Amino acid sequence: MLSSDASHLDYRSLLRASKRLDASSCPRALRLAILSDAAVPQLVPLLQVLFARDAVRAEIYLAEYDSTEIEVFNPKSRLFEFDPEVVLLLPSVNALRQRYAREVEDRIHFADRVAAEIGELHDLLASRCPAVILQSNFAPPYERPFGNFDQKVPEAFTSQAARLNLEIADQARRRSRVLVNDVAALATREGLRHWLDERLWTLAKTFCALEHLPLVAQNVVDIVLSQSGRGVKCVVTDLDGTLWSGVIGDDGIEGIELDRFGHGEPHHRLQQFLLELKRRGLILAVCSKNEHETALRAFREHPDMVLREADIAIFSVNWQPKPDNIRQIAETLNIGLDSILFLDDNPFERELVRETLPDVIVPELPEDAADYVRFLCELNPFETSSFSQEDRRRSDLYRQNASRVEARSGFTDLSAYLESLDMQIAMRPFDAFAIPRVAQLLQRSNQFNLTTRRHGMAECEAIMRGQGSLLGFYLQLADKFGDNGLISVIILRTAEQALEVDTWLMSCRVLGRGVEQYAMNRVVALAKERGYARVDGTYIPTPKNLMVRDFFKQFGFDRVGETADGRTEWRLAVSTYLPGTVPLKEMA
Amino acid sequence: MIDDSELRARLTEIFHEIFDDDTIEIHDEMTAAEVEEWDSLNHINLIVAVERSFAVKFTTTEVGNLANIGEFIALLKGKLPD
Repeated sequence: MLSSDASHLDYRSLLRASKRLDASSCPRALRLAILSDAAVPQLVPLLQVLFARDAVRAEIYLAEYDSTEIEVFNPKSRLFEFDPEVVLLLPSVNALRQRYAREVEDRIHFADRVAAEIGELHDLLASRCPAVILQSNFAPPYERPFGNFDQKVPEAFTSQAARLNLEIADQARRRSRVLVNDVAALATREGLRHWLDERLWTLAKTFCALEHLPLVAQNVVDIVLSQSGRGVKCVVTDLDGTLWSGVIGDDGIEGIELDRFGHGEPHHRLQQFLLELKRRGLILAVCSKNEHETALRAFREHPDMVLREADIAIFSVNWQPKPDNIRQIAETLNIGLDSILFLDDNPFERELVRETLPDVIVPELPEDAADYVRFLCELNPFETSSFSQEDRRRSDLYRQNASRVEARSGFTDLSAYLESLDMQIAMRPFDAFAIPRVAQLLQRSNQFNLTTRRHGMAECEAIMRGQGSLLGFYLQLADKFGDNGLISVIILRTAEQALEVDTWLMSCRVLGRGVEQYAMNRVVALAKERGYARVDGTYIPTPKNLMVRDFFKQFGFDRVGETADGRTEWRLAVSTYLPGTVPLKEMA
Repeated sequence: MIDDSELRARLTEIFHEIFDDDTIEIHDEMTAAEVEEWDSLNHINLIVAVERSFAVKFTTTEVGNLANIGEFIALLKGKLPD
């Protein structure tokens, strides 16, 4: 059914319709697989309803979040078991910018690298199943650390993302089975709806909607004046509520949040953006009302900090009024107050600095930290008119490394791919940094969860302090693309006869990487160390954890009991266990 | 619903602002020829300002066919909610 207007694409009505959808009478069925590095569960009901409108019953396999390579490189993955007719590859620009932020070397070939990998995925998919491949391109990013000058910097993210879209189109042209899902066009169209006023073009040939014409004018002013030296040279930033969520003086260093998988993500992202600014030659300084040592500790010790002590030129951390500190920073750096930009989430501090030092640029940050970076980019205070080879060398970004691109291509089997990921793993006893995320995983994990025991925060803290017979461990995984964060929790009970597995859960996005094998090796080694002859395990079935029904079996456990509700008991003799090899290195 | 005199008062205010002339009094037979500053650029500014102020949209044809202020007011009234 080709629709006559777009009103029937209302998100909520479609979701409502999906709840009473009965597609059983549809004459045609279609098996569609979705692979994405964003979480897109809502896409499933939407597709089902919209396909059903065209009399097609869509059977959809939604792979785990961010498991594209794992699914494609493993010939026995659930993707290929599903035998799709169409494979939708839906990478997001948000995940792309995360990767860009971490790949600081040879950025000029960033698009080439990503495109080469996408090409490999296509070839591998094509060799392993007959499906049509629907490759999505990327919405254009808004982060512009150089302002308009981004366009002249080939390694800038905006430049590389634009190039990547061209590469994707180019690759699709060379492969008959690959089609392009032009997400960039949709995103741009939605923006253009506001930008252009076609009616005014017809009537009066206006350049754009008149309300946006001031933006064009301001842009011209920014560019022209950046040539005569106007521009930000130093960003002075507050800490609590700005660089991280929480108050370090009250909550302690463990209490502040800035990991990129939790509530602190916006702050993590702001730090990444500030680091980009530093890379392009701006000076970063800190101005915060805190104890100096406490603040410094965060930069030295907090595992989620992007900015480190060496990135900050000046720490003004004391209880003096901020305008005094900023004035001193300007004097120390020998720069004018009008080239300082001050970031603070606190409206009171912003107002005070504005009143006292009217030359300092003080953006009226939005209330929600998630919008900080976008807001700053819209303000465009970082416009520049030069970026020299010297700047590049100084910021140590730019290393010609073409061989890397070549080395990447040509994987066809899973183990070679896993080796190439350079994965590093650590299994650590509970600590105060990890406890919030551990508790969160215990509450949320459903699928890869052997017993679904929901230990709370207080229990985790008791385990950490060694009260009772439980031992708690968490696992962290990093690879060349960056930190995957805390991805698994294991709680063991030191019983009389055996070391018992009380809880074992893992994030599904790291399935198939050898994490379970590594952890089991460690658990059995621990049992041996403590003089146990046995490791005992339990599987408690729920509607959602079928995938781990045979978890113990795969490691050579014997089944020693089963109850009517499907719960099974397992036992392993420590002496018979042969540690499996894993493509993982111990984290430093 | 907004009554006729209120509508005319708001329109007058917009005219004053666009043409930068507080002496303009609008009437039904008024046309662009009567106001010196009423060129094609200000015409567009006027349309956009009225759209903003009254939260309405005019089509290209509607804007093109207007003969005088009276027609403009009638058109505007037709777009306002009852």
